[in-house]
Amino acid sequence: MICEICKKNPATIHIQEIVDNQKKSMHICAECAEKKSAPQLLFDGNFNLAEVLYNITEHMGLPGFELGASSKKNEETETQEQAKATCMKCGWTLSQLRKTGRLGCSQCYKSFRDVLDDAFDTMHRGKLHVGKKPGGKIDESSTVMLEIMNMKKELEELVQREEYEKAAVVRDKINALTKGEKKVTNSKQHKGIRKSGKSKKK
Amino acid sequence: MAKAKRNNIEALVNHSVNWLDDSGPDADIAISSRIRLARNIANMPFPIAASEHDKTQVAAAVENAIEKSGSLGDDFFAYDIEQLSEIDRQILLERRLVSREFIASRGGEVLVVKNDESRGVMINEEDHLRLQVLSPGLQLEVVWKIINELDNQLSSSLPYSFDEQLGFLTSCPTNVGTGLRASVMLHLPALRLSGQINAAIQGISKLGLAVRGIFGEGSDNLGNLFQISNQSTMGETEEQIIFRLSKVIRQVINHEKNARASLMENKRYFLLDHIGRAYGTLRRAYILSSAEALESLSALRTGVDLGMFSSVDLRQVNELFKIIHSAHLQRFAGKELNQEERDIFRAKIVRDMLSGKNDE
Ligand SMILES: [Zn+2]
Ligand SMILES: [Zn+2]
Repeated sequence: MICEICKKNPATIHIQEIVDNQKKSMHICAECAEKKSAPQLLFDGNFNLAEVLYNITEHMGLPGFELGASSKKNEETETQEQAKATCMKCGWTLSQLRKTGRLGCSQCYKSFRDVLDDAFDTMHRGKLHVGKKPGGKIDESSTVMLEIMNMKKELEELVQREEYEKAAVVRDKINALTKGEKKVTNSKQHKGIRKSGKSKKK
Repeated sequence: MAKAKRNNIEALVNHSVNWLDDSGPDADIAISSRIRLARNIANMPFPIAASEHDKTQVAAAVENAIEKSGSLGDDFFAYDIEQLSEIDRQILLERRLVSREFIASRGGEVLVVKNDESRGVMINEEDHLRLQVLSPGLQLEVVWKIINELDNQLSSSLPYSFDEQLGFLTSCPTNVGTGLRASVMLHLPALRLSGQINAAIQGISKLGLAVRGIFGEGSDNLGNLFQISNQSTMGETEEQIIFRLSKVIRQVINHEKNARASLMENKRYFLLDHIGRAYGTLRRAYILSSAEALESLSALRTGVDLGMFSSVDLRQVNELFKIIHSAHLQRFAGKELNQEERDIFRAKIVRDMLSGKNDE
């Protein structure tokens, strides 16, 4: 979710206003909150929450999307990109994704991978799940993979800064870890409801 | 195999609510701890892109899995949102069982909930399943244990959509990975009275956590209630997320405790007067807006925490916090009320409850 005021930083402060039966909310970043000395100023006369809200529901983009590479591209490439980017499985389009901030199906994660990849960096702490798996199994190897991914990032930065000695150390560490790493298998196939046929209405 | 009672709001309202208990750890400041897990079923489009038929299938499969697992006990309720009146939907929202988006209902939404409201599943919200566990006080670790087990039980008969690299796949990419959102509701009156609340909110938000408050017409937070939750869901284990959040919340609780102590020491009469006046309003007012009620109840709660009242306990205050909302009021009145009528009825209920006339 991005800040409604600057439309730039991720929103970390969420304000809800309840007046009797009606609830409104707005989402802003720490920087803007400081500038506006929120929450106080947000609700004075100069600040029309209803209007702001209308605006965000219109532009409620996917959190972090505007931060990604897509915003740097010009209109033309974006249209081309949109025309191409459709999920083959569920038919969800990139413009639907931008409008709703939601994906249509699991396959959408592959279909819109490039756009999502940029967004993940701002939303999460790394691009790898290290938590539980269905049924409660925890795979040690994913923690190692996360470590490797982070180190590769570090390595790139060191090379860019031409700090080759440090880079060599990191590279050796990566090599050592890669050797010891269990191969993360992708073999687990999940059956859908349709196939398993246990969706009879009672 | 136990079956759910269907679309019976009365049954829900007549049961006592687990998270309103005053027995939780740090219950004077931490009102409740909640964890929510987002899950989807493999090879089915997410609700936003699903057909009515898909959603019916999902709901049937999930309800079946819940019944089979017995994870909601012998006595639990199911609600088909489309079948409920506007007020009954609002009741579910006011009891924090559902989201606003859920009760707006695009079709196919079902809430399944245990009788004490401590755990439940929203079906066909933004994701196929939104598991939710709610407990009084600050006890995220305990809540995690409960919801983790519920999740494991359901996954034994539901094929979850899971990716080896990205984890649990969710409709919104902000939930992908663990699908876990943990939050704690805090009552922070002294931080506000001493003017430290904005700094606290900004500090917390800089740690990558989200803060939510309830705000009124004026500039002030209503009821001094704040909800703090994790923002990111991928790249950390569930335990790490919960640990990080709990740590920050413990610090906030300590700040609040210090602020209370220092008010009692340095501004004793200012604080006592603030609480006493609020109590007077609640005991004697004949017209009570929801904003004024929230504010006064917050002060009353502070007084109870400080041991100022022998006749009122935390549970009662928590109960009042719930019942002053408009759908609950109208349910209590047994008819629809306009705003003016609500304010009058709200004042009456609060007067009655505080004078011991009513043991709801
Ligand atoms: Zn901003
Ligand atoms: Zn798709």
